[in-house]
Amino acid sequence: MSGSSIANETIDHSKNREPFSFYKFITNKYFLNVVSIVAFLLIWDYVAKEKIFRDSLARPLEVVDQLYMLTYMKFAGTNLAGHIWASTQRVLIGFIAASIVAVPLGLFMALNKYVNAVVKPLFDLFKPMPPIAWVSIAILWFGIGEMSKVFIIIIGTFVPCLLNAYNGVRLVDPDLYDVVRVLGGNRRDEIFHVCFPASFPAVFAGLQISLSSAWTCVLAAELMNSRDGMGFLIKRGMDTHQPTLVLGGMVLIAAAAYGTSLLVTLLEKKLCPWKRTIENL
Amino acid sequence: MAYKEVTVKQPLLLTVLPYVSIAAFFIVWEFAVSSGVIPNELLASPSQVVSTFIDKLSNPNPDGAVMATHAWTSVQEAFIGYLLALLVGIPLGLAMGWFNVVEGLFRPIFELIRPIPPIAWIPLTVFWFGIGLAGKVFIIWIAGIVPCVINAYVGVRMTNPTLIQMARTYGANDWQIFTQLCIPSSLPMVFGALQLALAYCWTNLVAAELLAADSGLGFLITMGGRLGRPDIIVLGMICVGISGAIIGFIIDRVEKKLLAGIRR
Amino acid sequence: MAHKLKLHCDNVSKTFIQKGNQEVPVIRDVTLDVYENEFLVILGPGQCGKSTLLKIFAGLETPDTGYVTLDGQPIVGPGPDRGIVFQGYMLFAWKTVRDNVELGLKLRNIPKSERRDIGQHYIDMVGLTGFENHYPHQLSGGMKQRVGIARAYANSPNIMLLDEPFGQLDAQTRMFMQKETARIWEQERRTVIFVTNNIDEALYLGDRIILMEGKLPGTIKTSYDIDLPRPREHTNIDLLKLRATITDNTELVL
Repeated sequence: MSGSSIANETIDHSKNREPFSFYKFITNKYFLNVVSIVAFLLIWDYVAKEKIFRDSLARPLEVVDQLYMLTYMKFAGTNLAGHIWASTQRVLIGFIAASIVAVPLGLFMALNKYVNAVVKPLFDLFKPMPPIAWVSIAILWFGIGEMSKVFIIIIGTFVPCLLNAYNGVRLVDPDLYDVVRVLGGNRRDEIFHVCFPASFPAVFAGLQISLSSAWTCVLAAELMNSRDGMGFLIKRGMDTHQPTLVLGGMVLIAAAAYGTSLLVTLLEKKLCPWKRTIENL
Repeated sequence: MAYKEVTVKQPLLLTVLPYVSIAAFFIVWEFAVSSGVIPNELLASPSQVVSTFIDKLSNPNPDGAVMATHAWTSVQEAFIGYLLALLVGIPLGLAMGWFNVVEGLFRPIFELIRPIPPIAWIPLTVFWFGIGLAGKVFIIWIAGIVPCVINAYVGVRMTNPTLIQMARTYGANDWQIFTQLCIPSSLPMVFGALQLALAYCWTNLVAAELLAADSGLGFLITMGGRLGRPDIIVLGMICVGISGAIIGFIIDRVEKKLLAGIRR
Repeated sequence: MAHKLKLHCDNVSKTFIQKGNQEVPVIRDVTLDVYENEFLVILGPGQCGKSTLLKIFAGLETPDTGYVTLDGQPIVGPGPDRGIVFQGYMLFAWKTVRDNVELGLKLRNIPKSERRDIGQHYIDMVGLTGFENHYPHQLSGGMKQRVGIARAYANSPNIMLLDEPFGQLDAQTRMFMQKETARIWEQERRTVIFVTNNIDEALYLGDRIILMEGKLPGTIKTSYDIDLPRPREHTNIDLLKLRATITDNTELVL
C-alpha cells in the first residue's frame, strides 16, 4: 500500500552517485550480512571438524546430507516429509481449535464485564503456569497418543489468543463508539463496525505469539513421547547420540515455525489492507 | 486546584463475582475428585495436593528431594540463566540498534537462531554440558536472550529522530548520542523485556527439567508422571505457577521503582 | 433575528469524576438558544468545557442539571438528526473514504444504490472526488477532516456540531478549510454549532459568537452578533475592531 500515498510533495529518490570508497564498501549492510553468515558457518564447521565438543557437534554439510538422506529413506516408518507433516498437523489442529474458541471468548470477555468478572480470574490463575508443565498430566489423562500432544498445544495457544483479543477490544479508542452512536447505530453496530475490525491487528499479534508457542509445545510433547514428528527426530538423535539428526531436526523445526508465521503475516496483510506496515521486527 | 473528593461505587456483583468464580472452581475441583466423578488416578483434589505439599516439606520420598531443594534448584537455574541473558542480550540489542556494523554482523545470525524453539537445544546441551546446572542455564539463556535483544534493538530504533538531530547540532558525537540519548530513551522498552524474558526463561526451565534433570520443580512433575502420582504432578505445576508469579511480581516492583522518573 | 428557535439549552451543568474520586465541575448553568440556519460559534480557550457542552448537545453526555431541546423535543441520546465532526477526525481506519462517508446511511438501512448516490454527492462536495477508495492513513490531515465533514453531512442532519474540527491542521490548511466550510454552509444551509479556540476562525465563520469563561467550570461570558457580509476577509476593518473587543474581554488563565 505504501506506493499509493498521496502526499503533497513528490520525493525524489534518486541520489547523487558517490565515489567508491573501501570503508563504505566494508561497512555496507549487505556485505556485513554475507560476512556474518559465512563466518558463522565457517566457525561452526571448524569447531565440529576439530572435535572441540568431541563427537557432539556435526559439520553443516553432514547435517544437510543427513536431511537429504531422510527424504528418500524411511526412518522409523516414514520419510522426512512424513515427520514434518506429523508435527505440522498437530500444530495446526491444536492452533486452530484453540483460536476458534479463544478469540471469540476474548472478544466476548471484553464486551461483557460480567462474563469478564467470572472468566478473567480463572485465566489469571492459569496464566503463570507454563504450558509445558502440563505435559505429564496430559500423558496421564490422554495416554501417549495424538490427543495428549494436541492438548498441550491447545493449552499453550489458548491464553495468548484470548488475552490479545481481549486487549485488542479494550484498547479501542472509545470515541469511535461515539461516532457510531451519533450516526444512528446501536450496540450491535458498535460491535461490528468498531470492536471487531479495530481489534483485528491485536488478534493477529496474538495468533503470531500463539503459533510460536504452539511449535514449542509440540516439540516438548514430541520430545517427551512420540513415534514420529520433528521432535521425535531430535529425541532419537539424542538417545542414539547422533548430532546430525539433532541438528537436522532443529533446522527443520525452525524452518517450519518460520514458514507458518510467514503465512499468518500474509493472511493479515490480506485481511487488514488498512494496517500500515511497521518497518522491521 | 483541589477538587472535591467523592467515592464511586462499583456494582456489588462485579466486586464479588471474581471471588465467587475462583471459589467455585476449587469447590468443583475438590468435589469432582472426592466424589469419584474424576478418578483419583487422573487428578488429585486440592486437599490432597495440600497434604502432599505439607508432607513434601520434610519427606524426600518418592522423588529424592524435599520441596525446598526442588524449588531452590529451579530458582537458581532460572536466575543465573536470566541474568546472563540480560547481561549479554541488552547490550547486544542496544549496540545492534545504533551501530550499523554490529547490526550487519549479528542480525543475520540472530535471525537464524530466533525461530528455533529454545527447548530444541536440549539434546545438544545434554551432549555438551551433561544434565547439571550448566546445561539448563544455557537453555534458559537462549530463551531469555531473544526478547532482550529485540526490545533493546527496537527501543534504540524508536528514539525520536528529532532529538538525535538536536544532539548533532549541539556537536555530540556518535558515542555520546548513543550513551546519553539512545540508551535512556530505550529504557522503557528494555524494562518491558525484563518481564517477557522472565516468562520465557521460566517456561523453558520447566521444559529443560522435564527432560534432563535430577532435581527441580520440572523434575518433580516428571517424577509424578512416572510414578503415576497426580498429586505430585499437580503440586509441581502449582509450585511452578506460584513461583513464576512471585518472581514476576518482584520484577514488576523493581521495574516500577526504576522507571518512576521516566514514565509519566 | 426573527428566526425560528432550533436548539434550546436550559441551565445545563455537568460534573465529571476524575481519577476515580475527584469531582471536577466542567460546565455550570449554561443557557443558550440557537436559531434555524444560524452559524453559531462557541469560542473559548482550552479546558473551558466547550467540548463537553457540544457532547451534551450530541447526546453523548447527559447533563447533571438542566435540559436541552432540539426542535422542542428533549435530547435523550445520540441520534442521526445531529451530525458531529470530531477534533481528532475519528475516521474508521479499516474503511475506505466511501465506506466512512456512507456509514451513517448504511446504519439506517438505506439501499445501496441510493447510498452510493448520496455518498458520492458529499464526497464531491468536500472535494475528495477520486479518493473514494483510499484508506484514511493515505490522506493528509485536511483531507481526513473533509471525510469527517462529508460523513456528518451525508446523514442529512438537522444540525451540525463541529468540535474544533481544524485544531490539528496547519495554519494554511486551516484557513483553506475555513473557506471551504463557509462555502459548504452557503451551499447546504443548516444550523451549525462550531466550537473553536481560534478568534480569527470564529470571526470568519460565525453569525454569532458565544464567548466562554477561560476556566473551569465553563460558563457563558458574553455573546457577539456579527452582521458582516460573506465571503468575509480576515483583514476587514470591522472584523478587526470586533477582534480587538473580544481579545480585550478575554483574560488568559495559565
